Amino acid sequence: MAKLSLRNVSKRFGDTQVIHDFSAEVDNGEFLVLLGASGSGKSTLLRIIAGLTDASAGDVIFDNLRVNRQSPRERDIAFVFQSYALYPHLTVRENIAFPLALDKFKGWHHIPGVSTIARRVFGSSKDIVKQVASVSSMLELDEYANRKPGGLSGGQRQRVALARALIRNPSMFLLDEPLSNLDAKLRAELRGEIVRLHRLTGKTFVYVTHDQVEAMTMATQIVILHNGIVQQHATPQEIYARPANTYVARFIGSPPMNLMTADVTDGQPALGGLRFPAPEQLRLGNGTVTLGLRPEHLTVSADVDVPGLAGTVRRIEDLGADTLIGVQPDPALGLNMWELNQDDLLWIRQTGQTRLMAGDPCTVSPEARMASYFDSDTGLNLVSAGKDSDAGMLPTRG
Amino acid sequence: MSLRTSISPPAVAQPPIQDAPSRHHMWQRISPYIYIGPAVVYLIIFMIVPVVQGIQLSFTKTPLVKPDGGTGVGLENYSRLLSSPQFYNSLGATILYTAATVIFAVAIGAGSALLLNQAFKGRTIVRAIITFPWAVPTVATALIFSWIFNRSDGVLNEVVGVLGVGQQGWLVDPKFGMAAVVLTSVWKVMPLVMLVVLASLQSIPSELYEATRMDGAGALETFKAVTWPHIAPTVRVVTLLMTIWSIRRFEIIYLLTGGGPVDTTNTLVVNVYRQAFSNQELGRAAAIGALGLVLSLLVTVVYFMMERRNAAKEA
Amino acid sequence: MTTQEAPPITQSAPHKRRLKAPGNRSFSKPARYVMLAALVLFSGFPLYWMLNTALSEDSELYGQAQGWWPHWERLADFGDLIGSVPIFKWLTNSVVIAGGTTLLSLIFAVLAGYALSRFKFYGKGAAGFLLFATQMLPEALLVVPIYALFASLGLLNGMGGLILANVAFTMPVSVWIIKGAIDAIPYEIEEAAAVDGCPRVTILSLVLTPLILPSIAAAAVINFFDGWNEFLLAKTFIAERDLWPASVGLASFIGQYLTSLNSVMAAALLFTLPALIFFLLVQRRIVSGLTAGSVKG
Repeated sequence: MAKLSLRNVSKRFGDTQVIHDFSAEVDNGEFLVLLGASGSGKSTLLRIIAGLTDASAGDVIFDNLRVNRQSPRERDIAFVFQSYALYPHLTVRENIAFPLALDKFKGWHHIPGVSTIARRVFGSSKDIVKQVASVSSMLELDEYANRKPGGLSGGQRQRVALARALIRNPSMFLLDEPLSNLDAKLRAELRGEIVRLHRLTGKTFVYVTHDQVEAMTMATQIVILHNGIVQQHATPQEIYARPANTYVARFIGSPPMNLMTADVTDGQPALGGLRFPAPEQLRLGNGTVTLGLRPEHLTVSADVDVPGLAGTVRRIEDLGADTLIGVQPDPALGLNMWELNQDDLLWIRQTGQTRLMAGDPCTVSPEARMASYFDSDTGLNLVSAGKDSDAGMLPTRG
Repeated sequence: MSLRTSISPPAVAQPPIQDAPSRHHMWQRISPYIYIGPAVVYLIIFMIVPVVQGIQLSFTKTPLVKPDGGTGVGLENYSRLLSSPQFYNSLGATILYTAATVIFAVAIGAGSALLLNQAFKGRTIVRAIITFPWAVPTVATALIFSWIFNRSDGVLNEVVGVLGVGQQGWLVDPKFGMAAVVLTSVWKVMPLVMLVVLASLQSIPSELYEATRMDGAGALETFKAVTWPHIAPTVRVVTLLMTIWSIRRFEIIYLLTGGGPVDTTNTLVVNVYRQAFSNQELGRAAAIGALGLVLSLLVTVVYFMMERRNAAKEA
Repeated sequence: MTTQEAPPITQSAPHKRRLKAPGNRSFSKPARYVMLAALVLFSGFPLYWMLNTALSEDSELYGQAQGWWPHWERLADFGDLIGSVPIFKWLTNSVVIAGGTTLLSLIFAVLAGYALSRFKFYGKGAAGFLLFATQMLPEALLVVPIYALFASLGLLNGMGGLILANVAFTMPVSVWIIKGAIDAIPYEIEEAAAVDGCPRVTILSLVLTPLILPSIAAAAVINFFDGWNEFLLAKTFIAERDLWPASVGLASFIGQYLTSLNSVMAAALLFTLPALIFFLLVQRRIVSGLTAGSVKG
């Protein structure tokens, strides 16, 4: 059982700073997802927690003990690798029993030669065999017990890796993109499996992924990292509803949030002549603001006379339950997309099918009270992030 | 509103943080040395110390019977060597032996690799037969060849006798000694060249050949355009290895001719051995050894300079 | 992806497919066969002649022309064939020396190869250079100072001392072979073992060693036959006839004709055969090991 605290953790590799001054508190039993694109530093952070990589500065604290100097073993964590990292020369059963057998080692058992025998002897002891059997049946691995990893599919291998992590009953589970080598169907299946294990054990899980679906479906809290800097640390719902900055707004959601530059006159934002009611917290003078709208907060109609933004339908993507519609705003509106959305289009999500066709003129109507407002210079969310210190700044706007 | 604080409010007064106990950190710093240490110490004792001692020895007059009781003579060993024709003869023999062995071994080895890179019936067996000599222990090699070259009863004389040439003392006639030694050496080391070049040849993607064939290139053009550029680096490396190994080759020469006839095969390493264990002059032997070492190093340095120039040309 | 075993260090296998030769046809067909025949004759004849001599009648060897065909019937009485050559005693010595050399060399090599493959440490470059450069040192140039060193340590005239000296020459190549093999094992497997509670030494013995076993075996064969074939150090250090390895014993017959040559050749054949068989078995690995080890720094 452990509460995880990271205080001002930094990591540099030579001249490159991979993690900038990261701090977080994670209560026991949380499912924390570290989410970011590749190169965001999320895996490095996980490895620092595990003790596989040393932090350049800052403290890693389990409960109230600083563990920076401890080995992964001493930290009592389990780690699941993207590449599974099973022992290829051992059977599934021996793989799962491995950590337990090692638990029984005393000093002299580590002598080369002795260790080989000791692993076998301990591995076939009654209590270990029993535990291996129960974990294997939990993960439906019984029938593969005597196979070697080379004879298993990717999904089965990752189950073995999970079993090997689980059997130790560690204080914390660390998972590094465990599903990214698997196909979509297996991924969904194992996602459920991992969530189930989390509930079952009640332990802290820290899970690294670049896949927002995994993050949104599994996490109790998400940290979004970009270039080694925390963009937002919040619950999945909060992150979706109130992204701390334009990076998060664009990173979460598919298609991502539509972002446009709105003119502000006397505290009143307007978009192509359409006025938006500014939220109370927002104190705007004159100038511009970046306005964000999720695709599901826009509606499109073939009727060109209703109030809204005039445009032309360019793309229709029928997903079955939903339809995504890409609309090119009328150039006469002078709509300034802040950072151009996919194909310079405004994307709208609509349930069911549409009768619109590419080329049709249309009107897009926003659900104005759902709009997000970001500082047009810093990219910070003016409503939720304005007073909140933990939303990071954007390092550079690419 | 801050979301993070809603999840876990920061403690108002945090308990002091202590380092968890660990023995890991100290180990991490010293463990590389525990693993590399034995090998390094071993090599220092059995390689570096002897080299240094050898160099020290070369400044002394030390008899074989009392290897640790020499008297310092300064540069005398070197000055005597550099003014003795016998040393230059030895140097010449080394260079001649090395050049001949390397040229023939690389040429025949690379040639056989090209031959073996084509499909024909029985290729596996032919390759095995050509590879065999490399696996034959040097002493056995010397034993066979000394019998083949035997003056009175050797099979070589039997063969040349049929051709109408009289019996020759292949190993005792100064005209033939070096040739016999080179022939034996080439027989023994050529297979390695063949195997290495063959490996390189078989890594050439066949599309490259097809492309040039489509362009209507003949065999020679194909070789120049595709084959040679691909295997050239390998051939260069194997030439370097062959050169270094030839400079230091001892057994074949020593066992076949003992440095004779009339010192024609008295290469530096054979010379070192004879000075040390026949003339019982460890100091002089060490001086020759030191100069031989310089020669090996010179070859390596020249090779790496050439490689650098090649790399620069390609860039 | 987990790998079943360490992939061989080869960049390409010399004989992957038998008849699939992409080959350039630089030679015309008849010319090719003539050249091949010449090569086979050149490479094969001396070995054939060793066999033929071993299986010849005493009377054939001297004075009259030796027959071109071996007397196979002589195989039936092999003890007689070997005659007065104490080859079995010498071969036993060779096995002890080669075995000791292999064992010691591999212990050093596994440890050092692991350090060079997986650690970053101060002095790594220097250690790598030492392992690379010592391969360049000629045995014959070192034999004098090593002789002096061993004389002062009292290590002459014993198989133990000879093993110690041999290891210095065989170990560097083994280190490079082992390092190459460990390089090919995904690092995550080692990290998983660390998380599972293995200290370094146990990672090495329980996880890495089984995975690189094929390369260790190849290195073992190379070391064994280096020790088996070694002549110079053995000849210099060991004076007592009963302690000689087969290489020194057989060499003592070169140029002396008191012992009948067919016995000597039969003994030599016995000495050659194991080397021949084992080298052909691991030929591919040896080629890549030698070149990788001695070329890459």
